[in-house]
Amino acid sequence: MSENTDTTFAPPPPRTKNTLGARLTAIFENKYIGWPALGIALLMPFITASAYSLNVMTTALIFVVLAAGLNIVVGYCGLLDLGYIAFLAVGAYTAGILSKMFELPVLFTLPAVIVMTVLAGLLIGAPTLRLRSDYLAIVTLGFGEITRITANNLQVTGGPSGIFGIPSFLTIGELDLQQPVIFYYITVVMVAGLVLAAARLGKSRLGRAWRYVKEDEDAAEAMGIHTYKVKLLAYIFGAVWGGFAGILFASHLSAVSPQSFLFLQSALVLMAVVLGGMGNMKGVVIGALVISLLPELLRDFAEYRYLVFGVLLVVVMVFRPQGFWPARGYEPERKMTAVDAAVAEGRSR
Amino acid sequence: MKNTRRTTALLGMAAAVLLATTACSGGLLGGGDAEDGGEAASGPIKIGMVIPISGSSAPSGEYMQNGAQLAVNEINDAGGILDGRMLELLVEDEACDAQQGVASANKLVSSEVVVSVGGYCSGATLPQLPIFGGANIPMIIPAANSQDLVREGLDNVFLINGTGLQQSTAALDFITKSGYATVALVDDNTSYSTDITTETESQVTGDGTAEVVLNTSVNAGESDYSAVVRDITGSGAEIVYWTGYYQEGGLIIDQLRQAGYTGDIMVADGSADATLAEIAGDAAEGVFATMTPTPDTLEGAEEWIANYEAEFGATPGPYSTQAYDAVRLAAEAIETAGSTDGAEIITALEGISGFEMFSGPLEFTDEHTLSNGGFVILKMEGGKFILEDSLS
Amino acid sequence: MSQIIWDGLFVGSFYALIALGYSMVYGIIKLLNFAHGDLYMLGAFIGFAVIASFGGLATSLGLFALIVVMMLSMVITGTVGVVIERLAYRPLRGAPRLAVLITAVGASFTLEYGIAAIAGPNPRGFPIRLTGDVFVVLGARVTLPQIVLMIIAGLLMIALDTYIRRTSTGRAMRAISLDMKGALLMGVNVNAVISRTFFIGSALAGAAGVMAGAYYGKIDFLMGFIIGLKAFTAAVIGGIGNIRGAMLGGLVLGLIEAFGSELVGGQWRDAFAFAVLILFLTLRPTGILGERVTERV
Repeated sequence: MSENTDTTFAPPPPRTKNTLGARLTAIFENKYIGWPALGIALLMPFITASAYSLNVMTTALIFVVLAAGLNIVVGYCGLLDLGYIAFLAVGAYTAGILSKMFELPVLFTLPAVIVMTVLAGLLIGAPTLRLRSDYLAIVTLGFGEITRITANNLQVTGGPSGIFGIPSFLTIGELDLQQPVIFYYITVVMVAGLVLAAARLGKSRLGRAWRYVKEDEDAAEAMGIHTYKVKLLAYIFGAVWGGFAGILFASHLSAVSPQSFLFLQSALVLMAVVLGGMGNMKGVVIGALVISLLPELLRDFAEYRYLVFGVLLVVVMVFRPQGFWPARGYEPERKMTAVDAAVAEGRSR
Repeated sequence: MKNTRRTTALLGMAAAVLLATTACSGGLLGGGDAEDGGEAASGPIKIGMVIPISGSSAPSGEYMQNGAQLAVNEINDAGGILDGRMLELLVEDEACDAQQGVASANKLVSSEVVVSVGGYCSGATLPQLPIFGGANIPMIIPAANSQDLVREGLDNVFLINGTGLQQSTAALDFITKSGYATVALVDDNTSYSTDITTETESQVTGDGTAEVVLNTSVNAGESDYSAVVRDITGSGAEIVYWTGYYQEGGLIIDQLRQAGYTGDIMVADGSADATLAEIAGDAAEGVFATMTPTPDTLEGAEEWIANYEAEFGATPGPYSTQAYDAVRLAAEAIETAGSTDGAEIITALEGISGFEMFSGPLEFTDEHTLSNGGFVILKMEGGKFILEDSLS
Repeated sequence: MSQIIWDGLFVGSFYALIALGYSMVYGIIKLLNFAHGDLYMLGAFIGFAVIASFGGLATSLGLFALIVVMMLSMVITGTVGVVIERLAYRPLRGAPRLAVLITAVGASFTLEYGIAAIAGPNPRGFPIRLTGDVFVVLGARVTLPQIVLMIIAGLLMIALDTYIRRTSTGRAMRAISLDMKGALLMGVNVNAVISRTFFIGSALAGAAGVMAGAYYGKIDFLMGFIIGLKAFTAAVIGGIGNIRGAMLGGLVLGLIEAFGSELVGGQWRDAFAFAVLILFLTLRPTGILGERVTERV
């Protein structure tokens, strides 16, 4: 038997170097790293609870949901979607319009939002997914723009003013859950759940199919994967995540206007995914936090913000296209079975 | 793996330590969460301003910031208010974007401002209303004037720029005075702009002397407006009222004249900018504008302009005077109320009668808008706007 | 009616000039240069800067000065295009499509916000304006500047077509677009030809930028974004990779937009253009003049 040197799906080798870099990598690759991260998020209000910082942190978390959703589309399945913000728009407008029209708390619009975003995913995905990646990018951009222009022109979406005066997320008796601190915690819990769910999706059978399609669509098709259906599912999941972000967005800002859904916003979400590490949910979360928090921290340099982002994008793609934190092979550690032991022994002879 | 589990546990402990040590600062467990309405008894009185600092509306932001700072400096030089307390101006960026406007508003609330004197883009200002309202901070809005702001009916909001309604009344006055029989209305499909055309149409139709023969929208950001030009020339309107911004206005005016349109053209205050003449070239000659007076069209403002130029080394622009007046009004209200409590300032503002501002003596209506919109008609001559008709 | 046709053709000629660059680059290295529309914007700003540095002298010389400025701008924009290719696209030549597309988005952002940082975010008036007599031809108002600009655009397009058909570089371009490895084996200096392609395509976009600045009178740092998308639509309509298709596609798109605006109203114009793009890509992805290309696995 010839030597099998392919290590993509082999268990990661035991740590041999004791350098700081290797130790940090081991810490961050630990599958329990999510818990301290969640802990930090839950404890942040104890460090700073001003209206401003709560607002900024909530906004950053909503952006994380968006990045997670786009990661499903771009990172897992390799579909370059330049109009992703359209799904946020669909979710936010649905939540805003329905909650205002029927005077419901925004949370109760969740079923409608899911339905609308699934429809949006189908509508945008169905014609475009047969196209090559280059065309796909421009067409999704076109859909993003069409969504924004439609929202701007229709009466039901409030025209250019948009929808404002959106009710709270939820009011239980006397308790208004839209208060900054409470809403922040609700957001943390929801975002944690959504990020976890997206990561789980990536490790599931569907996730493996996505990765296969991303690597080589023709081979995947030849191996019996229904690529069209798989790609459409990636789109729909991405859309639903956008819808969740939309609900949080609508209640957080209490106003939805077409100016929030420019191509610029789609590009920012894309940057978060690309810079963080396409396909690696942990990296994407960090990328999203950086992209949304950095402008707030560097308010003085507002004019150069997008210039820096653009240059970063080019630099990252040229020098480190896998992003800051690349996705690694996802095969879970297997316990050594008897067969493996025999093979290993056979090789060492 | 034991190593990493231990390190992860260490991280968790570090977080707990952070919590403990920051109990002294502004966290949830920290003491003195002084956030709701600056009840501080001494020290500078902070006045906040959310204006566009970056993005395409940035020049207007600069005009407003300078105007406000001029007022702050003057008041401080005269000894401050409330027994010698100095005013301090805090400025944040809205970039004409709702999300950034909200973040900036929150930042100002956290910085304990007493009054807000900002607000340029209506779309970015609307979501800020509940934030300042929730903290009981009165807002004196010098520029943003969409009817949506008025319709929200919030107690703490005061508009000192003429509203869309008042601007369309001024337009109607001019149309009937000059005897135009047919009117075409064009907007750029933004909230501020459609506001004006909708109001104008209903007022003109209600008045009955003139007829609206065309009411259409264009897309901002394009270069080619031949479609709307065809529509206008085809409608036979004697006057066209463009309610969008100067970027598109200049193009439309130029293309209208190139297409041989001989009627008159009038623009709303979003287009009353010198760059209009740069873009439209010779076609801009004779264009009318409904506008609240800018420093160079106000009678008797020469000294103020000289002060401005001496202080900032730049010429004032649209909304410099409104921002200046907003700060003066805020100081007056604080002084009258005798405290920095939001509710008392609001009562003081409502009671103000005859306070002298550039737009005339101030009196608020029940809706907290100006009783006199202050709109006048300007005309472009030699590349600059001059006063044509003060409509009073 | 004839006015609509003329207006459509006039705008279409701008689309055609920019679509040419798109098509050329796509034909040769199968890359959708997302930053291409921004080269149009760059051309306009370079023209603005050149004229500003000459002051009143340029303004008084009118059309002649404009042509000189246009050529200068073409050279500079072409060079910038080559630089972008060297820095951003050549290192990624073997990389997956996703990476190159993302880089192109980054390059586009860099150009847009770089110009915004240098020249300020506000629109500027273009110093040289074209004015001229008006003729009425078949019921449509036709101005002299429009005729002059269309003639210039036409000449540029004919020049390009001749270049592709007759010169060895043009042959090399066609060879590379058919089979890059084969062309390499035949001794074609692929890198040099690709650079030249970028130069020409970018120069054409720059020319269109200067002409648009002079005709419409307003330039701003985002003017390239939407026109880049329209140019891509035009290239697709005509058949991407096909030079004559790009020219045809530009004119066709201009006409479609003009008639469409009459139908659906000004505020839907962009949505209408995108809908046309999606329709074409769904129903006839090879465009009007494109040939069926079988993808080799």
